[in-house]
Amino acid sequence: MRKFKFFFNYDKEEKWLEIMAQKGFMLKGVSIGYQFSTSSPEDKTIRIDYRHFKNQEEFLSYCTLFDDSGWRHIAGTRRSGTQYFERKNETCSDSIFSDAISEAGRYERVAKMWMSLAITYIPVMIALLMTNSLELQSLMNPKALYFTPGLWEREGISFWFGFLFETPFVLLRNFFWIPIILCIVLYILFALKSWRLYKKGPSSDRAD
Amino acid sequence: MNRNKNLPLTETVFYILLALAEPRHGYMIMQKVEELSEGQVKLAAGTLYGAIENLLKLDYIEPVQSDDVRRKVYIITDMGKQILRLEIDRMQHLLNISESCLL
Repeated sequence: MRKFKFFFNYDKEEKWLEIMAQKGFMLKGVSIGYQFSTSSPEDKTIRIDYRHFKNQEEFLSYCTLFDDSGWRHIAGTRRSGTQYFERKNETCSDSIFSDAISEAGRYERVAKMWMSLAITYIPVMIALLMTNSLELQSLMNPKALYFTPGLWEREGISFWFGFLFETPFVLLRNFFWIPIILCIVLYILFALKSWRLYKKGPSSDRAD
Repeated sequence: MNRNKNLPLTETVFYILLALAEPRHGYMIMQKVEELSEGQVKLAAGTLYGAIENLLKLDYIEPVQSDDVRRKVYIITDMGKQILRLEIDRMQHLLNISESCLL
């Protein structure tokens, strides 16, 4: 079974995955959405960390450290960032962090990731501005953006057909940069959101 | 006197550096810290991993040759010993003045 959901707050994501396990859906992977396998309902303790790894060896030693201390790595890859762990037995502590600073640290790392994504798009925007590809002045005279000869002299069906036919081309030709701007804004918003969670520190709304 | 900007050390870092007086891998560090602290300090994996990464960056610890590719072994460096000394002096000073202030 596959489910699509998006979380900023790791505590809420952990809780949701635990509720899914209680319903008999065990997390087995996260790529495009969450993938679950069905099994008998169980009380699981699931915890999330956020880390990228330089190489496979580093990733392996990370997973081994968790495994040695009672946490099975259930989802996440070297480059996925989000790493999911399930507690192997009740004997170890129910947290993968033993102090508040390191627990909040995962939000700092994810905020940096969003910010670096935003920053990678900025050179693209600068290049577009420098080459005058944005043609912002044409916004003042949108009629000039249409190339169909005599379009604005037409009337009725003939006008609407021509207008609607060309509009998608006009958008592609002149406003292709809008999705890029949207991405930058969105990534910055995501970064700020994670940064706020980082500053807030470990939340007190954990169930246990 | 200009104090080292990495002082004071956190309790976690202090214990990890002490535990790495001898070469140990991650889980052995956890066990040693629990033993040294008489069960008071139990390091969790996520916290320990981040601390090790940070200590490597600061050159307070270094990896040593290990047969097990999945478990990296670390040991304290001279710089690590030095910062531990400075921290002990700092705490010693605190202990000394506490005595005289309270009595």
